[in-house]
Amino acid sequence: MAERNLLSELEEERIPSEWPEWIRQRDDPAKAHVKPEALDDLLVLDVSQGSLAGCICSSILAEFGAEVIRVEPPGGDLVRKLSPFGIMHQDTGLGYLVEGHNKLHTTLNLETAEGRAIFVSLAARADVVVETFAPGQMDAWGIGYRQLAEKNPRLIYVAISTYGQFGPEAEKQRRKPHREVADQALSGIVYVTGEMQSGPEPQPHEVPTKAGNWLGWYAAGAWAAFGTLTALRYRGQTGRGQMLDVTGTEGIMRFLEDQVTWYEKAGRVRERIGLLDTSVFPYTFVRTKDGFTMIAGFSDVNFQALTTIMGRPELREHPQFKTFIDRLQLANKKLLHAEVEQWSLNYTADEILGKVQDYVLNKRGPGIVATGRVNSPTDALNEDNWWERGILAKVEDPVYGELLLQQPPWKMTGTPGRIKWVCRPVGADNGLVYLKYLGYGPKKLGELAKAEVI
Amino acid sequence: MSNDGYFDWTAETFDLARVHEKPEALRGIRVLELTTLILGPATADYLAEFGAEVIKVELPPTGDTMRYVPPEGYFWRNLCLGFTPVNHNKYHIAIDLHKPAGKDLFKRLAAKSDILVENLRAGTLDRWGLGYRQLSEINPSLIYLAANGFGQWGPFSEGRASYDLLAQAVSGMAAITGFPGRSPMKSGIYIGDFFGALMNCNAILTALHYRERTGKGQFIEYSQGEGLMRIIDWTWVYQGLTGQERGRYGNRDMAICPSDIFPCQDGYVAIAAASDDEFRGLCQAMGQPGLAQDPRFATLEARLKPENGDALLDTIRVWAAGKTGAEVDALGAEHGFAAAPVATAQDHHASEHWRARGSAWQLDDPLYGDMVEYGPAPKLSETPGRIRWAAKPVGWHNHYVLAHVLGLQPKDIDRLTEQGVVGRWANRVGSKPPDDWVEGEGEVF
Repeated sequence: MAERNLLSELEEERIPSEWPEWIRQRDDPAKAHVKPEALDDLLVLDVSQGSLAGCICSSILAEFGAEVIRVEPPGGDLVRKLSPFGIMHQDTGLGYLVEGHNKLHTTLNLETAEGRAIFVSLAARADVVVETFAPGQMDAWGIGYRQLAEKNPRLIYVAISTYGQFGPEAEKQRRKPHREVADQALSGIVYVTGEMQSGPEPQPHEVPTKAGNWLGWYAAGAWAAFGTLTALRYRGQTGRGQMLDVTGTEGIMRFLEDQVTWYEKAGRVRERIGLLDTSVFPYTFVRTKDGFTMIAGFSDVNFQALTTIMGRPELREHPQFKTFIDRLQLANKKLLHAEVEQWSLNYTADEILGKVQDYVLNKRGPGIVATGRVNSPTDALNEDNWWERGILAKVEDPVYGELLLQQPPWKMTGTPGRIKWVCRPVGADNGLVYLKYLGYGPKKLGELAKAEVI
Repeated sequence: MSNDGYFDWTAETFDLARVHEKPEALRGIRVLELTTLILGPATADYLAEFGAEVIKVELPPTGDTMRYVPPEGYFWRNLCLGFTPVNHNKYHIAIDLHKPAGKDLFKRLAAKSDILVENLRAGTLDRWGLGYRQLSEINPSLIYLAANGFGQWGPFSEGRASYDLLAQAVSGMAAITGFPGRSPMKSGIYIGDFFGALMNCNAILTALHYRERTGKGQFIEYSQGEGLMRIIDWTWVYQGLTGQERGRYGNRDMAICPSDIFPCQDGYVAIAAASDDEFRGLCQAMGQPGLAQDPRFATLEARLKPENGDALLDTIRVWAAGKTGAEVDALGAEHGFAAAPVATAQDHHASEHWRARGSAWQLDDPLYGDMVEYGPAPKLSETPGRIRWAAKPVGWHNHYVLAHVLGLQPKDIDRLTEQGVVGRWANRVGSKPPDDWVEGEGEVF
């Protein structure tokens, strides 16, 4: 009896009743590798060149288990060379090391008729083709969606660019390569980001400012994956494939909230206002003893919490800060930003977080405040949270060695994404892919190499 | 390159005028959302644009906080412009989830849904008896997505509120945006929310594919901060390999040269050329073809050396200062390098191109009338996304949802309304219909 009681107690201990433990047992990415993969029935040909957007799309599909074949020109895709300060790691640029994972890497010269014929025989059995050529280039080669769909009506064909495949500007702009800074500029994000002009002439840093990352490519790639997955669902219902036209420009434009509507209805254009915010305030970065911290408390109740934590309750009665709308006037925002900063400069970001948590967790008053250090990459790397959560990890790759890489951001109980290998050298999987799909042995591959087809 | 009618064919294949004739990819998928602000609502919105039936549950009478967060406090016809971009095509029902009968209604809706989206603080719905543990028992094929700042577990997941901007801060995104020697820069848009919603959809749609293969649902969690860590490209691998920290480089791309944004005669213009071909085109356009032979600039490898890049970008800066944005744009199209003026929402509104593509989407809403909003981002030839109607007041579709999904009779609905289990809008801008509205007008059910 006693033994059984002990066992049942242990049993209960193993089944946590608290939500965080319960769900962690089921979705911790540390256990991802033993779980099934959602997309392991898909074959994707990523024939993108010179734009990382195609690779980002195929990375997302590959993280969820799709078999992705990268088709690069002999000598390798230009994107392998786009690297900060030109740094190469085993002949591979750092940007590519982030988006090369789980893919098989082949080469094929689409500028030769034989190369195009081989591509068609691969595409005839693929589920998805991703390309980033100048709009119309694949079509002119006879391997665009119009031609491939005749051989494979189930094909989902994704074309990525800056301006798109149709619309009044499409043909005129077709020669422009897909460069993410152009997507950012056209999308509207650049215009509204950056420091305000402080004098009659803008300082070099008081200009419209791009997102520091390759956001144009990430937006295009992630929307391309989204479109592909919706098309996959339609194909599952009907058996029919289709063509997708995705631009990084529109990808970011969709993130611009109501800006076009505000212009239409209020006649107002959103302007760049540095660390302030158009719609809510305080919602900003302020200086601290050791850098910057983010701080927010914009609704009346949360502003009450913030001013209480600051020890400045009288700010709530200040005529320029009294209501939510008062706090949105530009002059008032600037003044209030200075008030908050005057306080925050006395503390480190962690001390401010401590004060906020003391207020919230010990229920010292109504409302909540959000805060956290504006992390440099080093700050983030020094926080255990991200390692424990598995978003940052050191990955051991047989070719590229140990690399510090961001991981798929989702946690899933059933079919989590995962990184299986980091990257492959140019053409490293020619032997496998051409044998598996087309039955080409070493002799045939040798002939194709001699003819500069692969 | 011969285009052989390619652009005529695409114009016909993607013709905006035919969008409403075409089928929708996510037709028959029901999404139940219990969300606030942007991250959760935008997730369901993107699915709704591609045909999912989205039931947005709000708490009566004030509903989603985002109803009260417009730009500079501007409401149009009592509608919050910050609320509309993430609440298209939805059915709005208001249920008091603090009441047992309200919880019961929510469970009955969840039992008949394919996808549930929530963005409350970790564990909130579990405490209310409406979390994944409870709902997956009544609907094992449910795909349940929980999105928030720091995830469902881990050191930062408890006791910390989060917003988009905090995700920008903790992730390193802000640290790599802005100019050297200046402060980290906040994005002018809610990038962690809007991009996060897109990543949410990607996971949901893979789970849907798996469910169609196996019948099995699952739980998905997403942290905004982690989502932005994923997309700051070479930041982490660079520090891992070199021990150096990525800085802020303004508008200059340290991995592509040239790639920068330059002042021009009438604004600012982005210029980029990565391949040697693109670079030769740019040098031609600048009337300085010799630059392409200069050993400092002749190859990408040489151009990526910071001192060579400095010299090259200075040369381009001088040239661009004498041109208009439109001139540089046209030269890019002619010579095959990337060139794009820095555009505004006003430019989007005026652009025939973005209008013809449905990215500036003209909407005729039965309650609010004409308006232009940003439309679905990816363009699909067979199952294009579309905006059918704008966001609606709190509880606008109570009758439709309760009758259509749960089969309740009018008398049942009246009883639930009397008991305050379901409700309608507060007498407050952002929550209620336009002032000139008369009961019944603009209702489609």
